[in-house]
Amino acid sequence: MRSAHVGASSSGDEASGQLLPLELVDVAIGSRVWVILKSAREFRGILRGFDEFVNLVLEDVTEYQFTESGTDTRQLPSMLLNGSNVCVLVPEGGASERTAA
Amino acid sequence: MDSMPGQHETQRPADFLRQILGRPAVVKVNNGAEYRGNLVCLDGYLNIVMEGTEEFVGGELKRRYGDVFLRGNNVIYVGPAPAK
Repeated sequence: MRSAHVGASSSGDEASGQLLPLELVDVAIGSRVWVILKSAREFRGILRGFDEFVNLVLEDVTEYQFTESGTDTRQLPSMLLNGSNVCVLVPEGGASERTAA
Repeated sequence: MDSMPGQHETQRPADFLRQILGRPAVVKVNNGAEYRGNLVCLDGYLNIVMEGTEEFVGGELKRRYGDVFLRGNNVIYVGPAPAK
C-alpha cells in the first residue's frame, strides 16, 4: 500500500512481480539499517522513513567516522540523513533488533 | 511493516523536519564541522537557519554565531540535540 508513493511508475512492475529499488527500502522501515555514505562515514540505526531522494529518518543511531587514527563513533537519538551523500543501504535483521556496535 | 507491535508510525523526512523545528538541533556538515543551536527554519533542500549557534570542529568548540545560514548541499544530517 505504501509503495504507491515510492514509485509512481511502479504499477507495471508490480504486475510483473518485480521489486523496485525503493520498495526494498520501504520493506526495511522499522528495522535496523546500515548506511554507507560516499565519504568515510557510516551510520547504523532504525529506519523510520524515507522519501524519493532517499533522505532517511533514522532512530537510535550510531555514527562511525573512519580516520587514519581509527574509528570515531557517537550515538544520536534520531536524525534526518541527507540522501545526497548516501551510497549503500543495507537492511540488517528484524524490527528493533540491536546489533553489537 | 509499520504495523508491527511496538513500532512507531512511519515518519517521513518532511514530518521529521516539522517536528524538530524551533528546537535545539545538531547539524553535521561535509567538512566534519558540527553546528549546535536553535533551529529557526529550514526547507526541503536542507538549507537551515539556526540561532545561538556553536561550531564544533573535532569535538571542540571553535566559534559562536548569532544567526547562521547553512546551505543544504553541505548538510550530512540534522537531528534534535541529544539530551545532556
